[in-house]
Amino acid sequence: MEPSGNEFLRGTLKTIVLKLLSEQGTSVPNRMYGYEITQAVKERTKGEIVLSFGALYPILHKLEQEGLLTTETEEVEGRLRKYYSLTPQGTETAVQKVTDFERFMDTMRGLLQLPATLATGH
Amino acid sequence: MEKLSPQQMATLHNHLIHSGSNDALVDELLDHIACEVEYYIYLGLPFEKALSTVLEQADIKAVRHLRDTYQTDMAMTDEQLQQASLDDIVFEFRNKAYGAYDLRQAYRTTLRNAFIMAIGLFMMLMAMMDGISRRSWSYTSLAGVVWLIGLSGVTFAVYSWYMQRMRQQQLSLR
Repeated sequence: MEPSGNEFLRGTLKTIVLKLLSEQGTSVPNRMYGYEITQAVKERTKGEIVLSFGALYPILHKLEQEGLLTTETEEVEGRLRKYYSLTPQGTETAVQKVTDFERFMDTMRGLLQLPATLATGH
Repeated sequence: MEKLSPQQMATLHNHLIHSGSNDALVDELLDHIACEVEYYIYLGLPFEKALSTVLEQADIKAVRHLRDTYQTDMAMTDEQLQQASLDDIVFEFRNKAYGAYDLRQAYRTTLRNAFIMAIGLFMMLMAMMDGISRRSWSYTSLAGVVWLIGLSGVTFAVYSWYMQRMRQQQLSLR
């Protein structure tokens, strides 16, 4: 994505991470590790959005500090892997953030379409 | 998918350390870039090529940038700073599990216990020598009182040390 895309992404990263973790996965509660999250985002956006580790990990740790995520470290095939999952508070925040963001997108769409409707009005 | 060998993991780990990753992040980053390398190998690249592709993205600049962002984002708030000890500040973002943090945290208690125990043992020794030279023993004499004070001091120090050990074990079990 273009550099301006990164600018938009920065504000929505938290929402993206919370949303991904709030979805029902193979395990309950859903838990993911860092690389898995970047892959999930890449897959869904068909490579449009690629999260760098530099953007992802500060967000994850920040969310953990705020008490929205819990972590468990496990040894997987000889490597330490840190899994993240939502806390009850995190689940609430995820729902809240997603609704907020959807409302924001609606507003933005309205804003962007405005000139077009004005033009047809003439 | 093929897994990296311990040697290959060590190469990655070295790279991260030399790029200046901090203790709070290094294990997680290691897993992350190892996954990436494995993905490229899965796509058919040889290890060296996969490694250099991944390291191109995870170069010194990126790792340092991550560390710096991390430290600004995760820094203690003013409120936390007010309550934090010097140890907390020095060990922020550093590996607390390694041991030095615990040693420093327990330093005051350890010093106090050692001090009480040394004085207690010394008092007991003095009292004992006094008793031997007089060939008589009474708890009401000066030597007897010194012995009792020394004994209670040593008991207190040993008990306190034991409790501290138990607490540490409980913490490390968590």
